[in-house]
Parts: sequence; structure tokens; C-alpha cells
Amino acid sequence: MEGALGNRCATGTEALWVRSLILAGGGLLSLGCSGAEDTGSQPDWWLAFGPGEDLPESEADASRFLHQGTFGPIESEIEGLGYAGFDAWFERQGTLPPTLQRPRLSALEAAGQSVFQNQRQEAWWNSVVWGEDQLRQRLAFALSEILVVSDRSGALGNQPAGVAEYYDTLTRGALGNYRDLLEDVTKSPAMGIYLSHLRNRQGDPANNIRPDENYARELMQLFTIGLIELNLDGTPRLNGDGEEIPTYSQTDIEELSRVMTGWTYAGSANFTWGAPSMLEPMEAWPEFHDDGAKTILGGHLLPAGLTPEEDLDAALDVLFGHTNVGPFLSLRLIQRLVTSNPSAAYVQRVASVFEDDGTGERGDLFEVARAILMDDEARNGHLAAPATFGKLREPLIRMVGIWRLFDARADTGVIRYWNAQNDFGQAALRSPSVFNFFYPDFVPPGPVATAGLVAPEFQITTHTVITTSANEYRQRLYTAYPGYSGSNEHTMRLKLARELALAEDPPALIEHLNLYLMGGGMGAAMESALIGHVNATSMTAGNRPPGTQRVLDAIYLIVTSPEGALQQ
Amino acid sequence: MNHQYGPKGRDVSRRDFLRMATRGAAMGASIGALGSASLLRAASSASGSYKALVVMYLAGGNDSFNMVVPTNAGPYADYEESRQNLAIPQGDLLPIVPATFDGNSYGMHPSLTGMKSLFDRGKLAITANVGNLVRPVTKSQYAAGSVPLPPRLFSHNDQQSQSMKVAADRNNAIGWGGAIADQLVSMNGGSTLSPSITVAGSTPLLTGVTTQAYHLGTSGSVALSGLGGNTGAALSGTLDILRAQAQSNPLAQQFAATRGEAIELDSLISSALDGAAPLTTIFPEGSNTAAQLSMVARMIAVQGSLGLERQVFFVRKGGFDTHSDQLAAQPVLYGDVSASIAAFYQAMEELGCENNVTLAVVSEFGRTLSSNGQGTDHGWGGHFVTVGGAVAGGDIYGAMPSFVLRGDDDSGSGRMIPTTGTDQFSATLARWFGVPDGQLSTVFPNLGNFGTTHLGFMG
Repeated sequence: MEGALGNRCATGTEALWVRSLILAGGGLLSLGCSGAEDTGSQPDWWLAFGPGEDLPESEADASRFLHQGTFGPIESEIEGLGYAGFDAWFERQGTLPPTLQRPRLSALEAAGQSVFQNQRQEAWWNSVVWGEDQLRQRLAFALSEILVVSDRSGALGNQPAGVAEYYDTLTRGALGNYRDLLEDVTKSPAMGIYLSHLRNRQGDPANNIRPDENYARELMQLFTIGLIELNLDGTPRLNGDGEEIPTYSQTDIEELSRVMTGWTYAGSANFTWGAPSMLEPMEAWPEFHDDGAKTILGGHLLPAGLTPEEDLDAALDVLFGHTNVGPFLSLRLIQRLVTSNPSAAYVQRVASVFEDDGTGERGDLFEVARAILMDDEARNGHLAAPATFGKLREPLIRMVGIWRLFDARADTGVIRYWNAQNDFGQAALRSPSVFNFFYPDFVPPGPVATAGLVAPEFQITTHTVITTSANEYRQRLYTAYPGYSGSNEHTMRLKLARELALAEDPPALIEHLNLYLMGGGMGAAMESALIGHVNATSMTAGNRPPGTQRVLDAIYLIVTSPEGALQQ
Repeated sequence: MNHQYGPKGRDVSRRDFLRMATRGAAMGASIGALGSASLLRAASSASGSYKALVVMYLAGGNDSFNMVVPTNAGPYADYEESRQNLAIPQGDLLPIVPATFDGNSYGMHPSLTGMKSLFDRGKLAITANVGNLVRPVTKSQYAAGSVPLPPRLFSHNDQQSQSMKVAADRNNAIGWGGAIADQLVSMNGGSTLSPSITVAGSTPLLTGVTTQAYHLGTSGSVALSGLGGNTGAALSGTLDILRAQAQSNPLAQQFAATRGEAIELDSLISSALDGAAPLTTIFPEGSNTAAQLSMVARMIAVQGSLGLERQVFFVRKGGFDTHSDQLAAQPVLYGDVSASIAAFYQAMEELGCENNVTLAVVSEFGRTLSSNGQGTDHGWGGHFVTVGGAVAGGDIYGAMPSFVLRGDDDSGSGRMIPTTGTDQFSATLARWFGVPDGQLSTVFPNLGNFGTTHLGFMG
């Protein structure tokens, strides 16, 4: 093991940190070269003892799994997964503390620095690139594309800490229970501002004023039950005439809008004005709540006289208990992690786990995540149905994956990348509307439409973004390699030692990159073209250090290629 | 106005000449960049048969009942009673005098100074209370459920999608902008550039059968960087090989196709734009709406050199979902829209294209006439606007609704039942664009359900 570490740490490194974690069936030892102190960064080596029984079939299987369940594989994770197995991996992910954004912003403020949305973006990059709680981070990002708030809304634009706190709410709840998360989201002041139930008060019929319907509508349409009644497998449930059945009516929205009254900032001295607290859940003022009787979803009576909290609890229970929630949420999470077009049977298997995780609990997101990632369709869909399985990678996630794989660091310790939406068409909590960057049922005209498939991520893959994203990958590669003369303290410097060592062996270089960047899925024609390209590139091409041009070209060509853009 | 497809020998030869001129400029021949640009400018202003439709989408649901407001005593009192705290003070409204008197007087929102001026000049028309419909519906029919309605009324994405498609009640309908582009693409002389261009990202509006949208950024097309020099050329060669490789998965095929189009069309567009003189019209700074319209104007300026006779553009401004803080938000939104449209019209005048280009301002729905205290909620009917030299402007078309809550036009809470269907509005534009009358009901399958198929605002 000493030898193995020697390969991973820079020559002469002596300071090591050690972190140990004892699991039920064994243990885990993590070691790092980044200094004597464990600062929570990625380990350079980890060892699980008490070998797992459910091992990945291959390194490629482990890599594919990590593309689906994390922001991208790194060497130690593939090796650790291969030794400890999936169960141990999930168990460890379930116990890692959440990497949060707001503490970073608070630290900046404490140091007298200004905090804007730029700093929130830095904190996001920090969490997703370096957080060890990768399953939680990937789930939180997926949830941020379902339970959407956005700093593009004017009122949230100048609330970076409030928006970071919202993301932290998703991060804390990502592996918990969906009912709890729904409540936390509903009471979040960021959501209260974004969908305007904050300071929403009971109607004033004499003056033709009604409660605000915004949150009531989107809570049902986008966060819980959707527009039409679903079977457990996600297909529409039909009435006797073969028609789809709407889940709710305008009257249901108006009834629910009355529930969503009486909430304002925590600690506010006045219901309608006062200094906002963006960092604590909203609080209710009964005198601004409509406490009349309400009927939720056409059949569930909320009696008169309930407090705002009781009304909200009861309404959320009704929505959470609706049979649509399992298939509705399962489909969306499968699409974010694994495949745009899951089979109905896959949706049903995951939705069943949502309904009951095996212990009788409904809405257990940790078990839902496990069900999504361990499903046979996730593990073997690339072999069983290669023409329909998979998804277009989100360009933002690909960028994170590049930095994770090549262990990129800036001298400042900060990832200073503020406006990824200009390059990738997306950035954390920066969607143009509550409908996210893309719709779950988006169909781009062309081959996808002809095949009868959906492909949500193509909604942001415009002629412009397909080029600007490639240009951004290029910039982040060709101006960040070891020895690049134009770098500065903000440059995310890539570590390419493993790749440079393979530069004189093109087939091995491409095989290595195929494993890490494509989960081993590269077709023979592409492999041959890349090997040909590397062979034709001299070791000293581009006036770069030996082998660098070869390595950079190979990475760039993979991440911009049609096959590399597809996650299978 | 000429709606025929007929041969345009004169135009074709001019285009050929311009292509030669552009090529000459690119080769550094005797025609300098400036000379070439002024030739292009002359061509576009002389191109009498060219037509462009620019659809400006106010996303989120425009509260257009504050865009145009009745100002005479009775209807204003109804409006004020319905709107409560959201009513625009009577004295703040910008008075307009529609050519057709419907018994009321009207004013525009105080932030719409540029648009009011265009209305006064007869270049801007208002179409009242337009919304998604399958067929006309009265309040009693609505209450009885006796007439088919667009599915999922009042929901953003559904109503947005319906307003962009040729029929509200058909799931697989194509976009109406794409449909009319399909009809007239043959006039574009086989150009590889689609007649449909969005400068605001993906939109179903431009999805046709044979035509699909090209996506353009607000600063023009973008080239793949780093392909210069020996290493760049090698990289470029392998990129081409990779995107040409056969793929079994449609998503990979789609990605390869999009990449290929992006590369091919960037070279076409950037050479055209690089050869054009900058517009002297000044667009408002710091406005994304203005940036989008400015880009559209730049593309219209080079339509001659690109050999295009018909174009449909899509621009979008978001932020209209004014559930809260409407009193503060609306003036900012309208100020931006109005100033951007005024600049765009001025740019069309500068190009001599103002009679060839029509801008339509639409939204997924109007908003509730009633207030939720801080704003308005999702409604149904709302006013649409058209701008251009070909527009029979200075008038209000269609029927203004009653501004009384629970009145005959109110489906509930001031969600006003549209008195004109989106299909009628779109078909009127399609007819101007050159879709023959006989084809309109093929393009818009529900059009036959409505009495009037052309609303008159395009003359």
C-alpha cells in the first residue's frame, strides 16, 4: 500500500492525513497526501476491509455507476468500489456529512468580504467538485432542477445567502424523506419569494382580492402530482373513454391557495414589512391565514379553525400521499441520473420503493436513489437497449467531472467560475423559470423525435451552446495543463501525470480515458479515430511539454464527441 | 401586397452579384469591406418582396389589462373596481385614439411611450383579448362544459406550448411559426440556413415538419475556437470524423447533427455579418430584449447576401409572471419592451425594411383581472400587439372584454374568456407572410371553427 500511495502523492510528500470509518460489515480507511490535516478533501487512497459481496462487474461498470450517481468517477472511487462493493459505497455515502454552501459564505462575510451570487456559485463548485458526499451532491443537484428556485428572479438576485441556504436545504434533505423535504421547501423563504406565497394573506372578497395561487399551482404541477393521473409505472391512467384524467381543477388550486396564506419571514415584526430573515424557515401569522374549511384535491376536507401550520401539514400530507408522487418523482430522478427514456417497468420498480422502502417508510429518497442506480436497467441498459438507453450529459456536470478526474486546483483554493450559464446554458439555481432549464418531456426535432424519444437536455443544447460548451472545455484544458505559462492563481490546474505517462502508448491512453470519461462505452470506430489522431500528433506538438498535446486533444475530442456527450 | 411565389429574376441576379462581392471581400480583392457592406445595405433596402415575421414572446403571462386600459368614466370605474390596488391611475395613462371608435376611449400604460408613439403613427395595432381556444366559447358554454376547451387552461407550460402551436388541442401539433416557414421555405433558394431563427433558445413555435429553428446568440453565431494552426487543423479534422461516424443511439445522432449544423451555419452567418456595416440605430443598452432585437435587425440587414426571401424570428422576454410586486415590476418590464421595440422599428426604417418586417408581441395568457393583493394570477385572454409598416396600425382589432368581475367575459376571478382565438391572430400573420388563403385551414386545423379568419390588422 505504501507503494500505491507513493504513486499518488507527489515525490517527497511526507505529510499524510488519515480518516477511518467503521461500517457494519467492515471498515474504511482513507488517506490523503494534501497535508497532515484532514480538511475534508477527496482522499488519495481508500481501503475498505471486510470485502463486499456485490462488487461491480468491472472497472467500466464502476465507472458507469459513478457517472450516474456522482459528478464523475475518480481513480480511488473506482478502486474502492471494486473492493468494497456497492452496499458499502451506499452505506458510506449515507453517513458522510453534507457539504454545504452557506458556511463558506458566512466565513467570507466574517472575514469582511462581500458576498454576491458569484460567491454562491464558487461555493457550489466547491461542493460538487470536492465534496466527498457525492451521492448526496448529485441528488441535491437533481432536486435543484425539480424543486426550482432561481437567482434570475429579481427578488432573489440580491439574496445569495438565502439562495445558498435553499440549496443547502436540498442537500440536507437529498437522502432523507420527501415529505420532510417538501415541508422544508415550502417553508423556505427563498421559495416563498420565488413562488410568492411569502406574505400571501387571506382573500378580501369585498375588495375582489384573492389569495395568490402561484405556489399552490406549482406545488401540485411540478413538485408532487403533475397534471394527469398516473399508474405506478408512470403511464397515464385513463378513464372509461380512454382519456387522460386531470389530477386537479382550478377550484383545487384556489382551495390550496387558501392554505398557503399567513406565512412571512421568521422574526418579522410586521406581516408585510420588516427586515427579511432569509436563513430560517418562514413563520405563520394566524391573523393573516384563511382558517375557513377547505377541500383539497376534491375530496380531502380540512375543517375550519386549523392553524396555518395544521392546514399546511394536512395539505402536504394529502399531496404526499397521492399515488402519483412515486411515479412522478421517480421518472424525473431517473432522467436526471440515468436515462431519458426509462421503461415503464423501471419507473414502476423505483416508484414501488418510493411507496415502501422495505421498512414501511414512504418517500425515502436514499432508498429511491439506490433503487434507481442499482436497477438492472441502469446497470445493463447500455447492453440490453443501446438505441434507447442513456441520456445526454448535462454540460455543467461534465465540467465538474473533468475537474474531479484531473484533481484540478486553483492556487487560491477557490473555483472562480461565476457565469457557467453563458457557456453551458445552465448554472446552479439559475434557471430561466420554475420549469427548469429543460422540460422532462422535451423532444428536439430530428433523430430523437423520429425515434419517438424524449431528450430533456437538448433543450439547452442549442447551436450556440453546443459550440460555447466545447469552447469552454477547450479553455479549461488547453490553458490549465502542467507547465502552461499563461496560468494565474485562479487557473484550475489539471493533474495529468497518469495520462502523460501513457502519451507514448496511444491505445493505452485512449483506453484509460474511455474508462474514466465514457465508462468504457467508446465504440471501435471512435477508438480507432482517436488512436489515429494521437499517433499523428507528435509528442512535442503545439510547443507544449512532451505528450501534452496528445493528452489534451484526446480529452477534448472525447468530451465534445457525440458518443462522449451520451451517458450510457 | 404581393403574396405570390412568382419568379424573382431580378432578385436572384442581384443576390448572385452580392455573393460574388462578398467572396471578393473575403479574398481581399479590390472590393474593400466598406464597399461590400454598402452594397449589401443597398440590396436589403431594395428587396421589396422580402418578408420577415418577428415573434416577441412575453413569457410568464403578460398582464395586458394594464397595457391598454379604458379611460372613459364607466369602463374605467369597472376596471378600477376589478383591479383594486393594481389599477393604473386614470391620469397616468397615455391616451390613444383608435381609428375605429368602439364607444370607449383608451390609454396605454405610462411606460409604453415608444409603443404609444408607434400607435399614433399608425405603425402599431392592438388585438384585444386574444387567447388559446379550440372554438369560440361563451360564458354559459364554458360553465356547462358544452364546448371543447384547450386542455390545462391557466398552466404556464401548457398554455405557452398551445399558443405556439397550430392547434391548442392536439398534442403532436407543430409550431405555427415552423408551419408557415414550411409553406414558404422554397422561396429561399435552397439556402442551408433555416428560415426560422431563434435568438432566445429552444422554442416549439419554430418547430415545423421540414424546417427547424437555427439557434443564434445575441452577439451572433459562435465559432469553435482553437482550430487554427497545424494542431488546430488536425483537431478539426478529427472532430469532423467523429461527428460523421454512424451512431446507433438517436441522442448521439442528434448531437452530431446539431454540431454539424452549428459549424456549417456559423461560417455562413459570420461571413455575412462581418461584411455588413453596423447599424446606426442605437438600441437600449443593458437590455437583453434589445440585444435580441438588435441581432434580428443585423440578420435582416444581411438577408440579401444570405439569399433569403422569408424569415421567422423568435425573441423572448421573461419576467411577466407577476404574482407579486406587480406595481414595481410592470413599469420596468414595459419600459424595456417599449424602448426595444421602438429601436427595432427605427432600425427597420434605417434598412428601408419597415414594410417588409412585422413584429408580433404575444404571450401564453393574460392575467386575472382581479388582484391577489400584490399581483395577478394566471388568466386566459389578453391583448396582442403587431408592429410594422405593413400593419394597419393606430387601431384596436377584435373585441375588448367587459372589465366587470363576474361579468359575461369572466370565467372566474377575472380570467377573461378570449373573444379572439390565437389561431385567428396567427393565421392573419400567416396570410400576410404569404401562405395562400386556401392553405390557411390546412396550416391551422381549427381555423374553420372561427367566423373570421383574418382580423384585418395586416390590411
